[in-house]
Amino acid sequence: MKKNIRKTNLSRRNFLSGTATLAGIAATASVVPISIANANHSEGKKGLPDFINWKDRDALIVHSDKGIETHRSAIGESLVTPNRNIYIRNNMPTMTDTQIGDRKKWKVSIEGVKNPQTFTLAQLQKLGHETMATILQCSGNGRGFFEHKPRGSQWKTGAAACVLWTGVPVKTVVDACGGISGGAVYMTSEGIDHEPTGLDPKKAMIARSVPKKVYKDAMLAWEMNGVALPNAHGGPLRMVTPGYFGINNVKHLGKVAFTSKESSVKYMAKSYRISPIGKKGSQYPSCWEMPVKSWITRPTDETGTVKAGKVQIVGVAMGGTKKVRSVKVSVDGGSSWKKAKFIGPNLGKYAWRQFVLETTLSAGSYNIASLASNGSDKQPELRMENRRGYAHNGWKDHSVNITVV
Amino acid sequence: AACHVLKAAGSEGNIGPNLDTVEGLNYDSVMDIVTHGLGVMPAFGEDEILTKEEIDIVSFYVANSVGK
Repeated sequence: MKKNIRKTNLSRRNFLSGTATLAGIAATASVVPISIANANHSEGKKGLPDFINWKDRDALIVHSDKGIETHRSAIGESLVTPNRNIYIRNNMPTMTDTQIGDRKKWKVSIEGVKNPQTFTLAQLQKLGHETMATILQCSGNGRGFFEHKPRGSQWKTGAAACVLWTGVPVKTVVDACGGISGGAVYMTSEGIDHEPTGLDPKKAMIARSVPKKVYKDAMLAWEMNGVALPNAHGGPLRMVTPGYFGINNVKHLGKVAFTSKESSVKYMAKSYRISPIGKKGSQYPSCWEMPVKSWITRPTDETGTVKAGKVQIVGVAMGGTKKVRSVKVSVDGGSSWKKAKFIGPNLGKYAWRQFVLETTLSAGSYNIASLASNGSDKQPELRMENRRGYAHNGWKDHSVNITVV
Repeated sequence: AACHVLKAAGSEGNIGPNLDTVEGLNYDSVMDIVTHGLGVMPAFGEDEILTKEEIDIVSFYVANSVGK
C-alpha cells in the first residue's frame, strides 16, 4: 500500500488541487447533488448527534453519527426496550420537524387496492387503533462477528429492540379501500425521506416490497412505546412488518402499494441481498423474514464482577415469524445445555421473550451461550457466511465469556 | 456540500455518516467502500466513476484527515 501511495503522490496533489476536497470530487462525478439535506448531524451534548440528543449515551455504542448500537446489557431488561436505548440505523437523513410540517396532515397514499386513496395521519387515527409488540432488528445485526469484515456498521447484538407500536392495522386500511386489487403479489412501502436530499429516487428512495401476506399483521404506526413516533425512528408514520428485518419497516412512510412486481429501486433490487462472499445480485434472497435468535444480556463484562455462587443468566429470545418455543443455556461453550425459563409477559409471537437460568458458578472462566428454537427451526452453531454480513443467528458468535471470582 | 461531514475538507453533507465520527476508518476500509459503494453511496470503482488512482488518492486523503 505504501509503495502505491508514494507512486501516486504527484497525481494525488494535482487531483486534490483540481477539486479541492472529497466533496468536490464527488460533485464532479455528477452522481451526487449539490443540494444538501438539512444538517442535523452536529454533535450535541453527551457525544450524541443533535437529532438524537434525547437518547441515553451510556446505553449506546456510537459507530458513527448514523449508526448507533445498544449495549448488550442495555437491551430488554424489562422486555420492552426503552426509546432512549434503541439503536439508530438510518439510510437517509432523519427528516426534521420543518420538513415534516403539521404531523396530523402527514399523507400516505394507498395504491393497488380497489379504491386507491390518500389518508392524512388524522384520518388514519379515526380509522382504527391497535397496539402490538414486534422486534425491530437491523438486517446486519451481528455483522461485527463476521471474519471477512463486511462493509457497514459492525453491530454485535445491539441493532435490535422490542417495541410496542400503536397505529392502525394495514388490513383495516385495505378494507377501507375496498380490498386488494387482483394480481398483487407484494406489499411495497415507500418512504419520502430521500426527497429533501434531492437525490435520484431510483437510487435513494427507501422502497421495500415484502410478500403480500405480510399485510395481514402489518401496521401503520404513529406511536412507539407510548410516545409519538420520534423523527429519528421514522415519525410521524412508519410501516411495521412483524417478523421482517428492520429495513422493511419503512420510515417516513409516503405510500403503500400492492404490486405485481418488487420495487425496482436500488434499496430493493440491489441492496439487502443475502449473497455468497464475492457475489452479488438481485437473484439472491432479500432480507425479509428474521430467523430464530437469542443472546445473553447478563452477566457480561459490561455488568461488572460476577461473584461465585448463585448467578442469574438472563437473555432475550425471538422466534422470527413464529413463536419462540424454548431456550437452552450453556455455561461450557455448548458442551452441555440446560433449559432456561421464560419470564415476564408474553407479548405475542413477534415480540421476544426474556429468559433466565439460575445456576451456581464457582470461580473460573465460562463461555455462556443460548440456543433458541421456534419448533421448526433452532439457531445453528455457526454463522451463515454471506457477503454483507446479514441475518446472523449462530449461537457460538453470540456467546459471552465471563470470569467468576 | 455533498454527502458527508469531513471537517478537514470543509465538507458539510448529511447524506452519509459524518466521517469524523465513523469508528475505525483507515485506508483499506475507505478504499473498500469508495470502490464498492454502500447503500445510496455509488460504487465509484465498480461503476468506473473514479479511476483506481483517484480512489487511492481519496482513500489516502480521507483516512489521514478524519478527526482533524
